[in-house]
Amino acid sequence: MQEALLKLKNYLLRIFILAGLLWSRLSPTGRAALLILMLLVLTALFAPLLAWHPPDVSSGPALTPPGDGHLMGTDDLGVDLWAMIVFGARVSIIVGLGTALLAGLGGSIAGIASAYKGGWMDRVIMRLVDIMIVLPDLPVMIVLAAFFGPSLSNIIIVLALFSWSRPARLIRAQTLSLKEQPYVKMAAHYGGGFFYLLFRHFLPELLPLLLVNMIRLAGMAIIAEASLAFLGLGDPTSRSWGLIINHAVNFSGIYFTPFWQWWLLYPWLFLTLLVTSLALLGRDLERVADPRLSS
Amino acid sequence: MSFINKNTRPFYSIPLLLFVLILCAALLASGCTTPEEPGAQEQEPPDGEETEQLEGSVKQDVDFDDPQIIRLEGPNAGFPSPFAHYPRMRGTVMKYIFDSLLEIDEEDYIPWLAKDWEISDNGKEHLVTLRSGVKWQDGEEMTVEDVVFSFEYYQEYPPVFIGEEVMDRDFLISIEAVADNQVKFVTAEPSGTFYGEAGIMRIIPKHIWKDIEDPYEFTEPEAAMGCGPYILTDYSQEHNTYRYEAYEDYWGPDQAVDVLEMIPVSEEVLALESGEIDLSRIPPDVAPRFEENPEFKVETSPAFAGYLLSFNMNDHELFDDNRFRQAFTYAINKEDLIEKTARRGAKPGSPGILPEDHRWYNPQIKHYGYDPEKAEDILKELGVNEEKTFELLVGEGVEVRIGEALKEQLAIVGVDLNIVALDRQSRDSRAFDGEYEIALLAMGSWGLDADWLRIRYASGGDETAGGGSATALLGAGQGFSSEQLDHLFEKQRQKTDPDKRKQIVFEIQELLAETTPEIPLYNGFYYYAYRPDHYGGWIFMFDHPVMEHAKLSFLDRE
Repeated sequence: MQEALLKLKNYLLRIFILAGLLWSRLSPTGRAALLILMLLVLTALFAPLLAWHPPDVSSGPALTPPGDGHLMGTDDLGVDLWAMIVFGARVSIIVGLGTALLAGLGGSIAGIASAYKGGWMDRVIMRLVDIMIVLPDLPVMIVLAAFFGPSLSNIIIVLALFSWSRPARLIRAQTLSLKEQPYVKMAAHYGGGFFYLLFRHFLPELLPLLLVNMIRLAGMAIIAEASLAFLGLGDPTSRSWGLIINHAVNFSGIYFTPFWQWWLLYPWLFLTLLVTSLALLGRDLERVADPRLSS
Repeated sequence: MSFINKNTRPFYSIPLLLFVLILCAALLASGCTTPEEPGAQEQEPPDGEETEQLEGSVKQDVDFDDPQIIRLEGPNAGFPSPFAHYPRMRGTVMKYIFDSLLEIDEEDYIPWLAKDWEISDNGKEHLVTLRSGVKWQDGEEMTVEDVVFSFEYYQEYPPVFIGEEVMDRDFLISIEAVADNQVKFVTAEPSGTFYGEAGIMRIIPKHIWKDIEDPYEFTEPEAAMGCGPYILTDYSQEHNTYRYEAYEDYWGPDQAVDVLEMIPVSEEVLALESGEIDLSRIPPDVAPRFEENPEFKVETSPAFAGYLLSFNMNDHELFDDNRFRQAFTYAINKEDLIEKTARRGAKPGSPGILPEDHRWYNPQIKHYGYDPEKAEDILKELGVNEEKTFELLVGEGVEVRIGEALKEQLAIVGVDLNIVALDRQSRDSRAFDGEYEIALLAMGSWGLDADWLRIRYASGGDETAGGGSATALLGAGQGFSSEQLDHLFEKQRQKTDPDKRKQIVFEIQELLAETTPEIPLYNGFYYYAYRPDHYGGWIFMFDHPVMEHAKLSFLDRE
């Protein structure tokens, strides 16, 4: 029991030290971005505690301005906007995280396999990557989203399908140089199979690079989800930020009324905050992960 | 940089440079002249009336002193002949040019090219007396032959809009000129709707159309020549513009508007404010902005286009039960729906289906009111509990919002709705094929002749009536039938006396309100804003909520 506690303490300590190290190497904008991101993640996690109105049914008159029990006002159905935004943060973060994980891991496994195995597999995977890069993503995503039907998991899958190619190329290039390293060759020589090498050597070594890439993917995915929702291809009854914006923009004559000042502004603001902080953090982490860029 | 010196070869470079310069000059010169030509052409003063396309069509040299010009926002509605226009705008673009036997004002059909319309006692013979002195826009006299020709031609080549009865050769048996100015229509059955259907058919000139075998492709300038108040002087399909001028020798009331133009604009409200257009439909929430401005006048149209909730009675025994649908009627708070999804722009739907603003609306029908407790009681009686989920099919945009609001309202009485949102066309086709449980349907034209109730609710009716647009799908195919209603539907159809017909339609509404085959949620109306100082002659036809579609909006009615 005591041993386990000690172990845990050790782990926690290590994480703290790592976090401290990372924090010390971030620029001020990077730090601000990290803070905002953490705040947004916490908002999403504790959404039921933060919102005192339900996000899916009306809780007041339609289009009430901010104040008066509704922090950010209500939309046309009388649903509290703040509640929709904190619960919508979940959608954005799930889409961002889900796509990044799926595409990042899938892409890197494809990249590593392609580099390590070489030969026909390399050729097939790289041509696939070429095709994916050449395909314009939004039009095809629209078709796929319309075809598969609007649901959150479908959207994540469609987005992941379109974003695995970049990490795959990047990881392949790194793996090509990594596999020439003596210790990898040694491990392979002693009989380490592909999956052993993958999990034991390649992934840990490439993780920082991958993480940076995944942050980028997350930002892109969040925007893409919002665009699809904005175009009316998301789940129309969900409460994602893109959808709130979609409903607001479709309200006839919204710019001639004061309603845009909350109904449109707040979801836009949160979306921008999330994506901008992801981009800033990604930029900083890239520098940290790749020492060549810091000079 | 020594290597440059080494490689420079002055002998070659000077001629080369010259050559490049000359080439450039040549290119420049040619580049300058090419775009100049179309530019020069454009600058040629347009003679104000004609474009290339309309060369050879009717011309008139009229100088209007201080002409009244009205500009309207208009979509591309196709070539303005009765055959070539697009269904949108109800063919308004050609109605300015072509007159019909009857015209429509705020209250009723009024005599137009027909001076008199007599229906025989058995209801099968219609004797129409024509006005004299009507001239086509090319100067020829309009005769009884033109009227006979028009109807015969329409039976052979149906135009974009044509009434069922006018088109049907087995129904409209003969069209005959019985005197110089009289036409006799003979129908197989007495009909109370024939008058309205035939009355609004456009009369076309025989001398132009008699040899035309493909009227749908006939878009020569003379194809847009009628005997109506306006002459088409410019139509550009590419630019989406129409221009009409008042026809000087028009038989009827003076034109209050001399020149009428339709132009595309990107934002109607802004275009109205800047004076680019003279009339605009405005969103309900923007109406106060114009109401507060003394320069503008805001008017609301009759409330016709609406949404209704339809139950697939073949699919569910429960839906076939009158009480279940009534429970829904009690559970739906129409006022709240309007407040949320139509803002100030709608009136609650009538349980008798015909909307409040319909001229034959019966106010004495059973009204349900919002009563969630009663709804809950009925549902309990029927054994509907919260574990049961119904699928609600909705379209896109505001329909999703209506669906969400409905879901919330029905949750109060313990009914769970699962919203399935599709684009409008998929929704319509699914509704038409009967692949739904409960569907939210959008329908325009609720203001038309009450006979549409028959097309929609008579059992054994033609399922394809209504063009598959989900406007007429609830016939036998959807499982609703009522003998009593069927009988009344036929009865009203055959009554030629409008007052007697109206009484039957009143009865029909009472029955519909009792049986609630469908639940009309609300009927939307439009806000219109215009500058009365500039032009204020706008009216609404009794059956249609669009001001600029009324021909009388442009004519002097004094």
